[in-house]
Amino acid sequence: MPRRPVRRAALLVAPFAGLTAFFVGWEIYVVVRNLRPLTLPLPSDVIIHVVENPGFYSRNGLVTIQEAFWGFWIAFFAALFVATWMAHSQFVERATMPVIVLMQSTPVAVLVPIFLLWFGFSPWPKILTAMLFAWVPFVANALIGLRSIDSETYELLRSVNASRWEIYWRLRIPHSLPYLFAAGRICVGLALVGAVVGEFFNSREGLGNAARVAQSRLLVEQLWGSVFVLAFIGVAFVLLLIAVERRVLRWHSSQDGDHRSL
Amino acid sequence: MRRPALDAAVSFEAVSKWFRRKDRLVHALSRVSLDVRQSEFVSLIGPSGCGKSTMLRLAGGLLEPDHGSVVVNNQSPAEARRQKRYGFVPQHPALLPWRTVRRNVSLLSDVNRRQDNPGMSTDDQLAMLDDIGLTPFLDSLPRELSGGLQQRVSIARAFALGAPVLLMDEPFSALDEITRADMRYLLLHLWGQIGSTVLFVTHSIPEAVVLSDRVAVLGSRPGRITQVIDVSLPRPRHAEVEDSDDYHHVLAEVRAALRQGWSS
Repeated sequence: MPRRPVRRAALLVAPFAGLTAFFVGWEIYVVVRNLRPLTLPLPSDVIIHVVENPGFYSRNGLVTIQEAFWGFWIAFFAALFVATWMAHSQFVERATMPVIVLMQSTPVAVLVPIFLLWFGFSPWPKILTAMLFAWVPFVANALIGLRSIDSETYELLRSVNASRWEIYWRLRIPHSLPYLFAAGRICVGLALVGAVVGEFFNSREGLGNAARVAQSRLLVEQLWGSVFVLAFIGVAFVLLLIAVERRVLRWHSSQDGDHRSL
Repeated sequence: MRRPALDAAVSFEAVSKWFRRKDRLVHALSRVSLDVRQSEFVSLIGPSGCGKSTMLRLAGGLLEPDHGSVVVNNQSPAEARRQKRYGFVPQHPALLPWRTVRRNVSLLSDVNRRQDNPGMSTDDQLAMLDDIGLTPFLDSLPRELSGGLQQRVSIARAFALGAPVLLMDEPFSALDEITRADMRYLLLHLWGQIGSTVLFVTHSIPEAVVLSDRVAVLGSRPGRITQVIDVSLPRPRHAEVEDSDDYHHVLAEVRAALRQGWSS
């Protein structure tokens, strides 16, 4: 018993300890090997550069966050809509599956120029790219969640003539939440990657554009600063998602103390 | 042709049922006839695969007979289902893990609200939950409860609907023997207050004898009723009934009927 608070504190500190060890290790490696900043800068230099330019990174970061945000949610709702159809009809599932596989195996990056032709210099090519990156994990997980309901609970609801809508809303959707959160953790990162890829092709703003410009002008600190801020945004959103998940899924076995981790 | 008893709550009339399993047809039930009277407690007992659960699902309108008919309080099972006339207790508690005990118990009342069976009032539900010792767990989630408590909630959920017919599919089979024995008398206690008609599927001979007014013994391949045994033990029944000679006599009778059904 007396060890419990200590253990809890250790678990809280663990992520920060891991990150600190990573950056300290990096710093030592650069110093010991005497590497040029162009090859690998000191992480402390990059962090100082970011802190000294808050306006630049927050302005561009906000643009990328908005594109990734809309891409993430459009992917979520589109996936839920399609997975709902697939879960209710084997015909629709069979008809849709080849299209999903096709979309999954097509490198999304090659579609960006096409989106550019369609939408021009608007946020939509980037939002669509972010959406396509995040879509497939959402569909796959939503389909499993909606399908794998407990047969006895399903029968129980049928015994009182529950409608398809009631079974969907009261059973299938809550049951698929753990699967959707699991997909969400992956898709936060994927939506950010999508937004950045979109910005590489066509943008005058956003962290993807900042990284592209920095690369062409050999602005090493800005290049790495963009990467750091992107990583920070990704981690912040995953942590936010985990906080929401812990509240929403407190009924699920994944939230048991000993099984729970990042 | 056999006529259903006038006061039958559930009536099976020469019911047959086949299932398709891969490439072959399995004859699950063969010309089964049985009348369950109003407020009667009837157990279906027999070896695995003899069609007990199929009979329950036919009564509940979850399956359609291929031959013969099922009538529930002068209605088709499908119509009775539409009107929420069933309280169903599955083998596993089938509680919604995201709902608290209180909200699981009200689940069946919450769905299909267009029907005129609103179930017990909230006060009556709370009184029933208090009666069976669930008050301290009202706001608990299912995963915080033991298996026995979960099954208690499952039974309370069926009674909370106030349905005239209860269909129970081996509800105690996953419990340990001590909990199982407790649950029998808890079920009798609730049933004594509400007096629904109960169709109860079990593998346990003592359970069938303690609970039932009659025990229908089924044989397999194809499933059919081989014997219906009256259990004339006095009610209300308490644990002491299991010490009586009459109880042991009926127990032996059911056992012999099962053996006979198996050998035939």
